[in-house]
Amino acid sequence: MSKTIVLGLELVDRQLLDSEDRRCGNVDDLALEGRPGEKLEVVAIFSGPGAWRRRAGLTGRFAAWIGGGRVVRIPWEEVAVVSAHVKLRKRADELGLGRGDDRLRPLIQKIPGADR
Amino acid sequence: MKIFQIALGILAAIGGFVDIGDLVFNVSAGATFGYQLLWVIVIGVVGIIVYSEMCGRVATVSGKAVFDAVRERLGFRTGLAALVSAQVVNLMTLTAEIGGVAICLQLLSGLPYRWLIVIAGVVLSIVVWTTSFDWIERIFGYGGLCLLVFAVAAVKLHPAWGAVGHGFVPHVPTQSPLLYAYFAVGLLGAAMTPYEVYFYSSGAVEEQWGPKDLGLNKANAMIGYGLGGFLSFALMIVGGALFLGKGIEPEFLGSIALGAEVPLGQIGLLLALVGILFAVGGAAIDTLFSGAYNLAQFLGWEWGRYRSNSGAPRFTLTWIVLLVLGLGLVMTGVDPVQLTEYAVIFSAVALPLTYIPILLVANDRSYMREYVNGRLANVLGLFYLVVIVVIALTAVPLLILTNAGQN
Repeated sequence: MSKTIVLGLELVDRQLLDSEDRRCGNVDDLALEGRPGEKLEVVAIFSGPGAWRRRAGLTGRFAAWIGGGRVVRIPWEEVAVVSAHVKLRKRADELGLGRGDDRLRPLIQKIPGADR
Repeated sequence: MKIFQIALGILAAIGGFVDIGDLVFNVSAGATFGYQLLWVIVIGVVGIIVYSEMCGRVATVSGKAVFDAVRERLGFRTGLAALVSAQVVNLMTLTAEIGGVAICLQLLSGLPYRWLIVIAGVVLSIVVWTTSFDWIERIFGYGGLCLLVFAVAAVKLHPAWGAVGHGFVPHVPTQSPLLYAYFAVGLLGAAMTPYEVYFYSSGAVEEQWGPKDLGLNKANAMIGYGLGGFLSFALMIVGGALFLGKGIEPEFLGSIALGAEVPLGQIGLLLALVGILFAVGGAAIDTLFSGAYNLAQFLGWEWGRYRSNSGAPRFTLTWIVLLVLGLGLVMTGVDPVQLTEYAVIFSAVALPLTYIPILLVANDRSYMREYVNGRLANVLGLFYLVVIVVIALTAVPLLILTNAGQN
């Protein structure tokens, strides 16, 4: 991935898609690395309510608290393509993403006709 | 076959255009100012065409529905403010539409109102749980076409056509300009209701449109909403011809249906009530899904009716919770028509935060490629942005100054 990306606009807040095109969260924050004088490098994506704490002051902390505060770190090597969405190389459950949906699914499935 | 399918889609769009907000504001504007506000409907309808086409195109090309774009362009903090305001207005609208369904059922059956709320809730849940996206659109869109009875009624009432024609020329009357402005804002708010663009853009993803469907997108927006606008004209003309100067304020959905009964008798009344039932019922489902689309898109959850109910669990849970909340609010006995007025006025306030991100994303060449906004879309888009900001700033002051249109 050598294309130049404007991180604030073209990466943060984008939809994450797993290898099977399942929507599994947003890019909520980034981990950057680099020593003084060196170029910064994106090493990971953070996804999940816990990441809002750092982004939006009191509102963000409140929203993170409501959301349960979990945050998942996805190493940059797992990113396949950055376009209108951020496409990942693995399935959501392998990366620890989409857990809310996976936990809720058995409950929804108790209602007849849920799988159609 | 292709033409046939396009025609079906357009018919559904016409029938789906009118909701309780349009019914209330068009008829009461007619009852208060006659035909003098017809030109405002034209502005409103062109506005919804411009932005529906734009957000439909964005969703078709990039797979991004409105709140996807809101999150991306406004960021977490401002986006969250947009989300909260959208959800509050959306829940108000949902409640008003469910109340409208119960009122129609009551007028048709004579059973007690609260029972009918429960029946409406049960029927809506079953329809939403079992029916696919395109069938929901069709059933309610075609049923809503019964509202065309108001077009016949408008002609049969023999309005002064000269005055009707004059109504299409923009002007401000010397008497009660504030009240006139209040109705103008309400009519624009009702025509450009934000949930219409949430639902329309998510619908493009639901139906898995690709670039080859962009013609269909244009046709649906222009012809479907354009002809839907004719229903709005008809409602205002009926309101003007029947109620103006008689001191009658159509405060009940029943008196709106009266507009078809007076010139056409029983059959007119029946068609009007069935039309209103389907239009308002369809809008209840649109707003229900819109609430779930918005939350899921903002938070990056899986969403959509093209998945099974269990394929998008949090999305499914969200609309179930919203339906229960809406039904509970209707049960409190809040007047749906009055709630509609407030919902429309507050939705006018929420409009800019919805429309600005759409305009920005539609201009992003990096993923819109050759489908970015052309000059016409941008000129109209910017013009309407100004209109929207003006109505957003004036809506609440006008609501207070005119006592919600009562003086």
